[in-house]
Amino acid sequence: MTGETAPTGTTTAARSDLLSWMTTTDHKRIGILYLVTSLVYFAVAGALSIVIRTQLARPNAHIVGPHEYAQLFTLHGTAMIFLFIAPFALGLANFLIPLQIGAPDMAFPRLNATSYWLFFFGGLVVFAGAGTNEGAAAAGWTSYAPLSEIKVSTGLGQDMWIVGVFLVSVATILTAINFITTVFIYRAPGMTMWRIPIFTWEMVATSLLVFLAFPSLAADLLLLFVDRHFGGHAFDPAHGGSAVLWQHLFWFFGHPEVYVLILPYFGVVSEILPVFSRKPIFGYTGLVLSAFAIAGLSMGVWAHHMFTTGSVNNPFFSFVSFLIAVPTGVKFFNWIATMWRGSISFETPMLFTIGFLMNFLLGGVTGVMIASPPIDYQAHDSYFIVAHFHYVIGGGSLFAIFAALFFWWPKFFGVKLDEVLGRWCFWLLFIGFNVTFLPMHWMGIVGMPRRVFTYADAGALPILNLIATAGSYLMVVGVVAFVVNVIVSARRHEPVGDDPWGANSLEWATSSPPPEHNFTRLPPIRSERPVYDMRRAKGDG
Amino acid sequence: MIVGRRLFISSATFSVAIAAAYWLTSREIAGTFLLGFMAFALSFAAGYMIVAEKDADLWGDDGNATMADAADQVVGTYSIRSPLPFWSALSLTALALGLVISPALAILGGLAALVLGAAFIMNSR
Repeated sequence: MTGETAPTGTTTAARSDLLSWMTTTDHKRIGILYLVTSLVYFAVAGALSIVIRTQLARPNAHIVGPHEYAQLFTLHGTAMIFLFIAPFALGLANFLIPLQIGAPDMAFPRLNATSYWLFFFGGLVVFAGAGTNEGAAAAGWTSYAPLSEIKVSTGLGQDMWIVGVFLVSVATILTAINFITTVFIYRAPGMTMWRIPIFTWEMVATSLLVFLAFPSLAADLLLLFVDRHFGGHAFDPAHGGSAVLWQHLFWFFGHPEVYVLILPYFGVVSEILPVFSRKPIFGYTGLVLSAFAIAGLSMGVWAHHMFTTGSVNNPFFSFVSFLIAVPTGVKFFNWIATMWRGSISFETPMLFTIGFLMNFLLGGVTGVMIASPPIDYQAHDSYFIVAHFHYVIGGGSLFAIFAALFFWWPKFFGVKLDEVLGRWCFWLLFIGFNVTFLPMHWMGIVGMPRRVFTYADAGALPILNLIATAGSYLMVVGVVAFVVNVIVSARRHEPVGDDPWGANSLEWATSSPPPEHNFTRLPPIRSERPVYDMRRAKGDG
Repeated sequence: MIVGRRLFISSATFSVAIAAAYWLTSREIAGTFLLGFMAFALSFAAGYMIVAEKDADLWGDDGNATMADAADQVVGTYSIRSPLPFWSALSLTALALGLVISPALAILGGLAALVLGAAFIMNSR
């Protein structure tokens, strides 16, 4: 690898710096680009959700109309799922995987950069749909046919949604191939597969899911595009097509996607818990095997989203859905056993990790409930479902994202985030999250359907919605506390050492931030905790 | 690579089993096709791993290997900068977006993607 000299002069240097980010193929820089871009998309998606919650704060409000409301929840869901939670994990993995396995870069660096830019432009295309005459796509993030067909969704916004999501799905498939190849081929001497960190294992499982599930989405989108523009009838029952086919193809991607959104964060939690419990991870092998059990089973449960269609084998999908609770339970057991009798310290990454465990547990339990068809028939398309998936993806993944940001920030930028502001951020988000989403279970039980722009002024719905809206505002304050933390920490700029937490995996053996070539020297790798072994050899374990 | 091989073989076996179980319990075509395709893809990957395994000799698989052992290992050539990814992604976006906005944009994007794809291949030699 070669170093580069920046040209002299501030303007030229700034231009050169921008150009260097646009042309970089360094996995760490691409990782940072993914993280920053996905956080910007998160900010936009979060702002949309605040408009949604403000509209729903009072019954019969008209801050936005029904069509605008449909656009809002479509863009919110699309951005959170396709442009934030999943790409954030890709960014984290981009930065960490080569470092964790002792590799100089990804297997295909230029393909890696191409994937990022496809994701970036795909996201812009999705949002740009809002600037078209009839506004953004309004068929929900699931874009069910015939709602998304040209007869109903006549605007260009729906087409731009198809194009944008297609580009993002291609980018994700390419990245998954890159991850699998890198982990299999580019491990450092001594880094056997059974020594790679749990996060990297979880990303292998995630990549396998992407590799298997995303082509189904791409095919679905292509068929919809052909239906809309080239006279196809794939989803048109009047001409021999089938609207249920859209659901099959979509959920064959969509349910594994839920695990694409959560498995990487299981990895994050598995990295953070042992560090702040001062213990090795409990059941390394069990955690790895359970990840693949979850990934495998998740490919066979797609139609539990289609129980109420009456055209799928409900007992089969219910049974397999229940089975997923077993490997997930193994993970929970191992995480608790890791903390058990540990010397636990409650720095911000650990607080967010415990927040993840509590929220995700609730989301998981309601998931088991609705895996039962009789309960699902009652809860389907109600706010109970909204509460369930927000506890899984918001309370689970989002809290793990903040845990990851606080934990690896020193490695990304060489400085720590402020602890006091970090604790404020955690408590505001934790309380705000639960105040927002816990009442939604009751809203669903009393019959409030999802995706409606207003509701009747009757019963408990007005007060429950008002509480939920207040909680969402509290979450905004929590996010602002994080932004303030970033600014304060950047201005303070107190450099930290290579390993400020006393962590275990290989990324902590190099400088913070790491050099372009990643490692000046690698420690011997003789276990899944090479940095701990190195400290112990120095008598500092 | 034995772990990777086992991973793909066990995944392929699982997917064949679940595709068969699904067909036997539901006789539903769309889902069976999807699961069958998944089984095919995983079997293909597993077959590739079995064939590739013959030539794979990785230091990462040797638990006792040290950095010195791999001192002469060539892991590839890394360029830290390349304008090709950005422009390739932009041209592919233009191609896809052009299909819904303007055929001219699609043609322009398609031509640019072809040229950049060729540059990618030339650059990789």
